[in-house]
Amino acid sequence: MFRTTLKNLAARKLRLLTTSIAVLLGVAFMAGTLVLTDTVGKTFDNLFANVNAGTSAYVRGETAFGSDLGDQRDRLDASLVQTVSAVDGVQHAEGSIEAYAQLVDKNGKVIGDPKMGAPTFGGIWLTDDKLNPFDLAEGRAPQSTTEVVIDKGSASKGHFVLGDSVKVLTKSGTQTETIVGIATFGGEDSPAGVSYTLFTPDAAQTFLTEPGKIDAIKVVAADGVSDRDLADRIAKAVPAHTQVLTGAEITAENQKAVREGISFFSIFLMTFAVIALFVGSFIIYNSFSILVAQRSKEMALMRAIGASRRQVLGSVLFEAVVVGLIASLAGLAAGIGVATGLKELMNAVGFDTPDGAIVVTSSTVVISMIAGLGVSVASAVFPARKASKVPPIAAMRDVALDTSGSSRKRFVTGSVIGGLGAFTMGAGLFGGAGIGPVALGVPLVFVGVAVLGPVIARPVSWVLGSPLPRLKGMAGTLARENAMRNPKRTSATAAALMIGVALVSFITILASSTKASISQGVDKRFTGDFVIDSGTFGLGGLSPDLAEKLKALPELDAVSGSRMTPTQVNGAATLLSSGDPVAMQKITDFGITEGSFRDLGPTQIAVLKDTATSNGWKIGDTVPVRFAKTGEQQFTIAALFTESDVAEEFFISLTAFDANVADHFDSKVYVTLADGVSAEQGRAAITKVTDGYPQATVQDRTEYKDAQGSEIDMMLNLIYALLALAVFIALLGIANTLALSMFERTRELGLLRAVGMTRRQLRTTVRYESVIIALLGTTLGLAIGVSFGWAMVKALSGNGLSTFALPYSQLTVMAVIAVFAGIAAAILPARRASRLNVLEAIISE
Amino acid sequence: MSETLTCTSPPVTRLAVAGAINATKQYGKGDTIVTALDNVTVDFHAHEFTAIMGPSGSGKSTLMHNVAGLDTLTSGSVYIGNTDLSGLNDKQLTLLRREKIGFIFQAFNLVPTLSALENITLPTALAGRKPDRAWVDLVVETVGLANRLKHRPSELSGGQQQRVAVARALASQPEIIFGDEPTGNLDSRTGAEILDFMRKAVRDLGQTIVMVTHDPVAASYAERVIFLADGRIVDEMSSPTPDRVLDRLKRFGD
Repeated sequence: MFRTTLKNLAARKLRLLTTSIAVLLGVAFMAGTLVLTDTVGKTFDNLFANVNAGTSAYVRGETAFGSDLGDQRDRLDASLVQTVSAVDGVQHAEGSIEAYAQLVDKNGKVIGDPKMGAPTFGGIWLTDDKLNPFDLAEGRAPQSTTEVVIDKGSASKGHFVLGDSVKVLTKSGTQTETIVGIATFGGEDSPAGVSYTLFTPDAAQTFLTEPGKIDAIKVVAADGVSDRDLADRIAKAVPAHTQVLTGAEITAENQKAVREGISFFSIFLMTFAVIALFVGSFIIYNSFSILVAQRSKEMALMRAIGASRRQVLGSVLFEAVVVGLIASLAGLAAGIGVATGLKELMNAVGFDTPDGAIVVTSSTVVISMIAGLGVSVASAVFPARKASKVPPIAAMRDVALDTSGSSRKRFVTGSVIGGLGAFTMGAGLFGGAGIGPVALGVPLVFVGVAVLGPVIARPVSWVLGSPLPRLKGMAGTLARENAMRNPKRTSATAAALMIGVALVSFITILASSTKASISQGVDKRFTGDFVIDSGTFGLGGLSPDLAEKLKALPELDAVSGSRMTPTQVNGAATLLSSGDPVAMQKITDFGITEGSFRDLGPTQIAVLKDTATSNGWKIGDTVPVRFAKTGEQQFTIAALFTESDVAEEFFISLTAFDANVADHFDSKVYVTLADGVSAEQGRAAITKVTDGYPQATVQDRTEYKDAQGSEIDMMLNLIYALLALAVFIALLGIANTLALSMFERTRELGLLRAVGMTRRQLRTTVRYESVIIALLGTTLGLAIGVSFGWAMVKALSGNGLSTFALPYSQLTVMAVIAVFAGIAAAILPARRASRLNVLEAIISE
Repeated sequence: MSETLTCTSPPVTRLAVAGAINATKQYGKGDTIVTALDNVTVDFHAHEFTAIMGPSGSGKSTLMHNVAGLDTLTSGSVYIGNTDLSGLNDKQLTLLRREKIGFIFQAFNLVPTLSALENITLPTALAGRKPDRAWVDLVVETVGLANRLKHRPSELSGGQQQRVAVARALASQPEIIFGDEPTGNLDSRTGAEILDFMRKAVRDLGQTIVMVTHDPVAASYAERVIFLADGRIVDEMSSPTPDRVLDRLKRFGD
C-alpha cells in the first residue's frame, strides 16, 4: 500500500511540488523567523558579554516603577563616584550617562529616527578601557566640552570625518562640537543601529542630564575580589534607593533587553507565518480532496481486491506525511534564506543587526517540522477519511459529478462553528476578555465560513459569473458552469484567498477608521493653527527654549509645548501629559465638564472624565502620582475633561511637570496665530525660529493630519507586504486546483476542442473560472474583513476610534487586484489545457 | 483541390465531400515503427452513409481521425470539401471542425455542465452564432428529444445521451459527420435506434456520415462499407446486409 503511494507521488511530481509549496512557504517563513531570532539574539549575547567583560559591578538608581517605555529610575549624584571608588576592593569607578542626544548631518537633517527606529543616545566617554564598551577606530578621546567621539555607524551615515564640526541636539539646546574620535562598539559600527555621541564627563552632565547627575557607575574590581563580593561591599557604602548589580547581572539584563526587542519583532513575524500556514492548510485539504475524488476508482479497486479501510486511510495519510516532510525540510532550508531577508527588513525598520554566524537551533528544526508535518497531515485527515469510505463497488461505477454541498448538516455545522468564533471574538473585543479569545475566534470564523462555503459558492458564483455569457459567449458560459460544477472544490479554493483578503481589508478598514477619527478629532477640537513636531516620542524631543522663543513672536497668540512622561497614577502605570493650561485651551477643546484648567498649579491635575468615573474620583479628591525623580506626590483633581486627543487621561501644568521630571523635552509645540496674521506670515515667523532646531517640522492643520496618517500608512504597508505571502499561497492554491481540475476534465476538454473550441476560447474559459473563484474568495473575504473591522472599531470606540470609515476606493482596488490575480493564477493551467493533444484527450481513459 | 476529385467507381459518379489521397500514418521510430495507414486513397460521397470496418489494429480509427482533422498524417493528404487539411494550423483545423464536421463519439460525447439543448448547439455557440432555429427543431424532433432539452447529461440515459450527440452533430449542418463506434456502448435495441436516426439523417435530411464500427449489424445500416486491414483498403461493399458483412469479415482470417 505504501509502495503504491510512493509510486503515485513519483508519477505526479508537479502535483507534489505545487501541493508542497503551499506548506513550504509557511514553514520557510516560520523557520526564518526562528533562525533570525536565534541568530540575532546570539550575536547580541556575545556582543554584550564582550563589551561588559571588564565591568565587575554596576551601580544605579533603584527602579521606581515599570512602564511601557522601560523601567523608570532616578539618577545618581555624580559625587557617588568618589564614594564607590573609596570602597575597599574597587580598583576603578566611572560615572556613565545614557540620555537623549541626536546628531545633525551636514545638510541640517537629523541622523536616526528615535520615534520609529533605534534610539539616539549621548553619554560619557569612559577613560578605562575595561569599562568603556567602545573602542576608538580613529582619533582620540574628547578632552574638552567642545569635543566628542561618535559611533562609526553614525559617522558613515552623516559622512563625518575626524575634525568635522557637528551639531548635536540635546536637552539643553543645540551644541556645536568637534569630532575628535570615531569608535566601534564591540567591533560593530553601532549597537543595533543606536547612535551614540560621547562627551567628557562635565560636558555630558551639562548637556545631557544636569551638572552633578549621572545615570550609573561602572566599577572595575581590584585583583582577587570577586564581582559578587565587590557588589555586596559597594551596596553597603551607597545610600538607600541605590541598586548594585554585578557585571554578569547587567550583561544578562542588556541581553534580555535586546531579546525582548527582537521577540516583539519575531512575534509579529510569527503571526504572519501562522497565517500563511493556516492558508496553506486549506490548499492541502483541497488538493487531497481532489486527489481522493479523482482516485476513488483506484481506491475502490484496492478495496475490492482486499485492502482494508485502515489501509486506504493510511495510504492517503502517508502521502500527506511525505508531502509534509518534503515541505518541512525544504521550508527549513529556505528559512535560512528567509532569515537573511528578514534581517534586511529589521535593518530597514532601524534595528541594525551585526553580522554573525547563522544559528539553527534544534528547537527551530523541531518546531518547523512539527508545523509542516502537522499542517499537512491534519489537513489531509478529512479527505483520507472520505477515501476510506469509498465502497468497493465504486470500482464498477462511473463517478458522477459531485455538485453536492448544500446539505443541512453542513449548514448547521458551519453556522455553529462560525457563530462560536464570532461569539468568542465578541467576548474578547467587547467583554474585555482580551486578545486570547480574539485570536481563537478569528480562525474559527474562517473555518465556519469555509464549511458554509459550498452552500454559498454556487449562487455567488452564478451571480459573479452572470456577465460572462454575454461578454465571452460560450467560453464564458462554460467558465461559469465550471466554477459552479463542484461547489466544495470552488469554495475550498476560494476560502484560502478569503483569509488573506479578510485580513487585508480588516487592516485597511482599521487604518482608515483610525485616520478618519484622528482627522475628525483635529477638525472638531483642534483650534490651533500650527504644530511643531519633534519627530520623537518618549526619548528626547524639542528643547523647551523653542517654545520660549516662539512665545516672544508677535505673530503668535497662544504657544504651548506638550510634554509626556511615564508615571504611576494611583499605582497604575500610565503616561502623564503636560502643557501650558491656559494656552492649551486656546489650541484644543478638552471638553471640560467640571473645574477649570486655570486652577492647574504645581499640585493640581486634570483627569479624563471616564477615568475619574471608573475610579470613583471627583473634583477636589487627592490622587497619588509617582515620579522617577521625586517619588510619590499628592495631586488634587482640579478639572475633568472628555476629549482625550491631546491629553490622553491625565494632564498637569508645565510647572508641576518640571518640578517632578528630570528631563524636559517638548514632543510637540502647539501654536495659534494672533488676530490678523495670515498663515504665510505665521509660518514665515515660526520657520525663522525653528531653523535652529533641525528635528522640528512645522505643520499646518492639514499637514498635521497627514503626518499622523503617514505613520499609519507605513505600518499598513509593512503588514500588506507580510500578508502578501498569504495571498500568494492562496493564488498557488487556485492554480493547483485548476491544474487538477483540468487533468480531471481531460476528456471533456478533448471533446470541446474536437467540436470546435479554439485554444484561445479554452484559455478564456479557464481564465474566467479562475477569476470567478478569486472573486468569490474576495467577496467572502471582504464581507468578513468589513465585519471584523466594524467590530474592532466599535470595540475601540472608547479609545479614540470614533469613526467607522469604509475605504471604498481601496476595497475596490482589492477587488480589481483579485481579478488580475485570478487571471495570473490561471496562466499555467490554461496553457496546459489549451496545449492538450485533442486526439489523446478524447481517447484517454 | 476542386470538386472534380470524384470517386470513379460504378455505377454512378458521385460528389466526394471528403477523402484521403496516398494517406500514410506511422508511429514510432526505427525498428519499432508501426504503420497504421499505408498509402490509403479513399473518397467519401455526399449524402451517403459510409461505414469503415476492419479488425482492431486495421487502421480504421486512424483513417477517420486523420480525415476529421484530429490527427496529422506522416505523408499524403486529406481533404474536407475543397480544403486540403495538411497545410492547416491548429486554429484553422479547429474552425474547420467547428464549421464543417460533426462528431459522434463512442462515449463522453457531452459536456456535463451544459443542458441537452446547449450541447446540441455547442459548435454554433462556440462560433458565436445563433443556431438555425427551424433546423435545430427539425433535428430535435427527428431524434425525439423535444421534452429532454433542459436536462443535463447526467439526467439522461445512455441512449438519450447518444441521441443528443447525433443531434449535436447534425445541428450545425456540417459537410460531413464522423461517428467513432457511436453505438459501441449501447445495448442492441438502443443502438439500432441511434443507427436508424443516422440513416434518417442521410436519407431525409441529406447529411453525409462516415462511421467507424466493428459491428456488422451497425455496418448494415450504411449504404457503403469500406474494409480495412493492416492499414490498407482491402474491399468495398454497396448495400450491405449483416450476413454479407460478416462473411466478408470472416475471410480476413484466411
